[in-house]
Formats: sequence, C-alpha cells, structure tokens
Amino acid sequence: MATRTQFENSNEVGVFSNLTNKYCLVPVGGSENFYSAFEAELGDVIPVVHTTIAGTRIVGTMTAGNRRGLLVPAQTTDQELMHLRNSLPDEIKIQRVEERLSALGNVICCNDYVALVHPDIERETEELIADVLGVEVFRQTIAGNVLVGSYCSLSNQGGLVHPQTSIQDQEELSSLLQVPLVAGTVNRGSAVVGAGMVVNDWLAVAGYDSTFTELSVVESIFKLDESKPDAISSNLRDTLIETYS
Amino acid sequence: MQLTWKDIGTVPSSNDMLDIVLNRTQRKTPTVIRPGFKIQRIRAFYMRKVKFTGEGFAEKFDDIIRGFPNINDLHPFHRDLMDTLYEKNHYKVSLAAVSRAKTLIEQVSRDYVRLLKFGQSLFQCKQLKRAALGRMATIVKKLKDPFAYLEQVRQHLGRLPSIDPNTRTLLICGYPNVGKSSFLRCITKADVEVQPYAFTTKALYVGHFDYKYLRFQAIDTPGILDRPTDEMNNIEMQSIYAIAHLRSCVLYFMDLSEQCGFSIEQQVKLFHSIKPLFANKSVLVVINKTDIIKIEDLEQSSQDLIKTVMNVPGVEIMQTSCYHDDNVMQVRNKACEKLLTARIEQKLKGTARVNNILNKIHVSTPQARDELDRSPFIPEEIKALKKYDVNDPDKRRLAKDVEAENGGAGVYNVNLKDQYLLDDEEWKNDVMPEILDGKNVYDFLDPEIAAKLAALEEEEERLEQEGLKQQIFDAKIKGF
Repeated sequence: MATRTQFENSNEVGVFSNLTNKYCLVPVGGSENFYSAFEAELGDVIPVVHTTIAGTRIVGTMTAGNRRGLLVPAQTTDQELMHLRNSLPDEIKIQRVEERLSALGNVICCNDYVALVHPDIERETEELIADVLGVEVFRQTIAGNVLVGSYCSLSNQGGLVHPQTSIQDQEELSSLLQVPLVAGTVNRGSAVVGAGMVVNDWLAVAGYDSTFTELSVVESIFKLDESKPDAISSNLRDTLIETYS
Repeated sequence: MQLTWKDIGTVPSSNDMLDIVLNRTQRKTPTVIRPGFKIQRIRAFYMRKVKFTGEGFAEKFDDIIRGFPNINDLHPFHRDLMDTLYEKNHYKVSLAAVSRAKTLIEQVSRDYVRLLKFGQSLFQCKQLKRAALGRMATIVKKLKDPFAYLEQVRQHLGRLPSIDPNTRTLLICGYPNVGKSSFLRCITKADVEVQPYAFTTKALYVGHFDYKYLRFQAIDTPGILDRPTDEMNNIEMQSIYAIAHLRSCVLYFMDLSEQCGFSIEQQVKLFHSIKPLFANKSVLVVINKTDIIKIEDLEQSSQDLIKTVMNVPGVEIMQTSCYHDDNVMQVRNKACEKLLTARIEQKLKGTARVNNILNKIHVSTPQARDELDRSPFIPEEIKALKKYDVNDPDKRRLAKDVEAENGGAGVYNVNLKDQYLLDDEEWKNDVMPEILDGKNVYDFLDPEIAAKLAALEEEEERLEQEGLKQQIFDAKIKGF
C-alpha cells in the first residue's frame, strides 16, 4: 500500500516521521492529520508514537531504527527518552548515541538486516548500530552523496536510491543490501528519496506531491500489495521513459 | 513556450484611447497657470503637459505591442494556425502601424518641447501645446482600423484551445460528418458539439485523457474535403496544419455507411492525397459506424479500395462504433500504444538522454552472498486489518476524529501518555519527577529495578519462612 500525505504543508514525510516494522514515530504537530494518515493504515498493529527528539519535530531526520531497536541522538532529553521507552514495546532497544553527526536519520539507512552509513561515522557508533539494530554495517555513499539516509529509502523487500545513481553503483549497493534496487524520485521529481518518504515491509508513505508514476514505482520496488519489481522494466517502462525525458 | 494567450490587455478603440490618455494628463499634471507667472514657469508648465501626454501614448502603445505574441517566435504550428485565422500580414502590419505611431508621437513630443523652450508668452505656449496634442490625436485617430482588428484578434486568441505541439497527441481527422467529434466525446470529457450535418466543428477542439499514468491530448479537427490545399478554406486549413505540424498519432476516420454524404471511394482518395503529411507519424485508419455496416459486409470492389489504404506502410485499420460505444477504448489504447512506441524509439536514439533514464528502468537484483535469511517481516494482524475507507460508516475512529470532536486543531491537546504500554493501566498518568532532591532522576534509573525488587522480595519471603522455621525450632527446644 503506498499512500500520500503532508506534514504541515511540507512534503518531506521522511524528515518528519520514522516508520519501521514494529513502530512508527511522528512529531507532535499542530493537528492530528499527519498522525492519522499513519494511524489509518496501521491501525493497532504497531504503535504510532507522538514524540519530539531534542525538542525538534524532525523525528525522521534525527532517529534511525528498525524492528529490533531505535537509535536517538545524544541531544535527546531524558524526558523524551522516558516517553519513548514507555511508548514502545519492551523488546525494542532504545539507545542514545554520542555521535558528532547527530542527524542519525540522514547518516544511517537501514532495514532489519543491513545498514548503510555515512563514511565518516565514528567506530563506536558503528558498533552500536550493529549491536542495537542487529545489522551488518557498511560505510557507503550513494551517487557520490555521503548522506545515505537522505538519498536512499530501504525496506526488507527493496530499495529506492538517488535518481542519478549509476547502474554499476546500483548493482554494487544491491549486492551489499541483498534487496532489489532502482533509481527514482518522489514528490514530483525530488531526489531526496530517503527524506521524501518512509517505508516498511507493507506500507509506504510519500509526500502529497508524488505523481502516480512515482507511486507505482514505489509500490513495485517495495513489493507492496503483491506488486513485483519486474513491472518497472516491463509495464512501467514506457511511462517512465516518457515522464523522465 | 507560451501555449495560450489569455492575458493580453484589452485594446481600446482609437477614440477611447484618446480619452484615456488626455484625461490622464488632465488629472496628473497641474492645471492652474496665470499670465503673471514667470515665463520659465509657464514654459515648464506646458512642456510638462506635452511630455506627459507623449509618454502616456508611448506607454499604452508599448503595452499593446508587447502583449501580442511575435508571430515569428512561435512554434510553426501556432504560426500557421494564426496565419490562417488572422492573416499573418494583416497582423504584422497592424502591429507595425502601432509601433510606427509610437515613434511618431515621440517625435512630435520632442519637437514641440523644443519649440516650447523658446515660447515668449503664455498665449504662444498654450497654442504650441494645443498643436502638439492635436497632432498626437491625429496620429492616434489614424489607428482606428488596426485597433479594431487587434481587439478582435485578442478576443479570438484568448479563446484558442491550449494545444501543446510537443506532448503526446492523438489527432482525429477525416471527411466532415464521419464521427470525429463523437469519438472525442467518447474518449475524453470534452463537450464537443455533435450534429448530423457537415462542418459542425469549425475549429480545433482539445480534450485530455490518461493512459498508462500519462496525460494525452486528443485534438478534434474540422472535416477536410479532397481538393488541392490552395483551394481549401480556413476551416480545412486548420486541420491540415494540425496534421502537418503536430508530432502525433493520426486517426483517419472513415464512414463505410456513406451516411456522411461521401462515398467510400472519395474517402480513400482523400486518404491518399493527404498521405504525404503522414510522414514520420503513426497512422491508424478507424472505420466508424460499425453499428450500420462493417468491412466484411461490403462489396468486393469497396473492400479492395480499402485494402489500398492498408498497403501504405505503418497503417493499421480498426473498426469502432461511437454510437454503441463499441471498441472505442481499444482504438484509443491501440493509438496511444503506437504513439508511445514511436516516441520512445525516437527518444532512445539520443544517447545523452538515455543514460539519464536507464537506471530508472533498471532493477538491480542481488546475488545471494551468504546463507542468511533476510525475509520480510509482516505481522499477521496487518493482513486481517480492515482497509480504512473514509466513506465507510463504521470506519475506525482516528486521532483526527477525536481532535475534531474536542474543538479541532489548536484547541485540542493530545495526551501523549494515553498510548503508554505499561504493566498497569493506572500508572499511565503518574507524575514522574524530573529532578528529585537536586538529582536528575533519570541518572539513577536502573533498567533492572523491577527484577531486583522481585529478587529482594523473594529473599525476604525466604528469610521470613526460615525465620518461622527457626521460631518453631526454638519452641521445640524450649519444650524439652
């Protein structure tokens, strides 16, 4: 299922929310519309949690997590940490990370098994990621960009990367991540796919500006609603060539 | 490139133009002057009037000239269309007349300002000003016809449909009355007039529809008669230019029932005479009105005639009936498919462009690098979850609904503690101090506190039990 929403007139859904297979974080906003967009799709199956991180609303940019754990930056206050601990199921480890690159959502891109990280991240952080999230960690760039979390959107079933990623890089990343990958855009041509959308194994939420073509690519590559990634190179091929050139 | 000209300013008639500019001069320049004033002041007073009026005219003319599109900068399709509709030379001459009038007026204004510098008296200055404004007025009055013509052009231009020559286009053409407009009505939402007489459609009409997530435009053209292009009237020429200039898939409509008033032979002949325009285009011959007659029911001679059409390379024949809405979508899809294939083929020829899109249609699939299981994690409950539907009367109540019931955004405050997952529901709203006795509580919080407490209690109980045994033991000893 791929849906579209907006947070207070901003299409950058990935900046303002964090969606995993076990929980979903959304900011405390002016209204409940953004929260309800997730709530409508997720029901009571996984908790959708209102939170701030270090007093900000950019919870997607600041945190990184998967179904095993959640990493929050050192600036997170004790109250916020307590709130998260109380709101998330006990089996999810929550860990504060002392890392200079504190926007963890921008520098870490992970699913339940592997993580790509910013090449300059500290060794201790790397170990924490491996321990808390239970993933293999690779230092990588995406199309020359160090902010892997912003330029890649990843689930256990597939991944969407920066539109300028070369096919060679794509193959390399795909063999590291062990999921099918495709280059693409969200939000009507925006290259920041990681910050523009959130995805887990059964739901993707992108910005309101996303075109139907972009959403069908998202549905196919993340195998949502029984779509297959092959559709991109067969059914959607003509549409994609026409829209992108 | 500009495709519509809806916002050209109105062109006033020459008399209105005079009123507008002279009124403005009267309103915006000083009006009181007396013979006793110094001569410099009198000269300045009239110079200002003349200059102001000249500038006023120049400004107005400039707006007109800049408002209308330059016919040479347009796409060839729009250029030719405007040529047929408005007569290119007439259009250019009219605009040129306005432009020349502008220079003339500026000249007059300059000359009279120079003369005014040497004005000797109030009377003389006033006469000079009168002469200047009078000459300007004569120039403007001569523009009566160009202004009237430009105003008409403006009104017509604003109503032209927005046709993008470069986008995906289906072009519907054929003899009058063969069902072109009915087809456009069937495939788009365009509300085109359909009437049972020839030349109902007298201009180009555009409708839009979606196919494969892409927006297509379908253009309905007026009917064409089979005659040399220089004998064709303006209405037919619009069709011809559309066929000639637009990168499109051409749907040539034919009516085998001959109800349109033209024989099959004539229709086939027309196809062959406009065939040269179909170069580099995909063409689909559509046999309309199959509710009346189909190809198979025709006489052999007519069938052979139609076969000549099929012999043209790249041409395919399809049958449809707009009346019964039969096969219409198949025709549309076939046409779109042909057009897309042609466009993509052409696009893939340019290497620079292709490199940019290849990665977007290439899905990299990984080779398994180890034996690890990396299966997706989808909870069973999600499959059972009823899909949220806004129109469903017993849909789930969302936080949004709760908010609306409690005064709406800005009034309602969500209780963040409501969703806490705690062992005891009653703990949810407990106040948890942040600082206690000058110490940050969280610094002393022990994650294993519950387990430790349980262990302590257990030990105490055990000790108690043992203590009880001890007492009994002591009592027994005493008893001895």
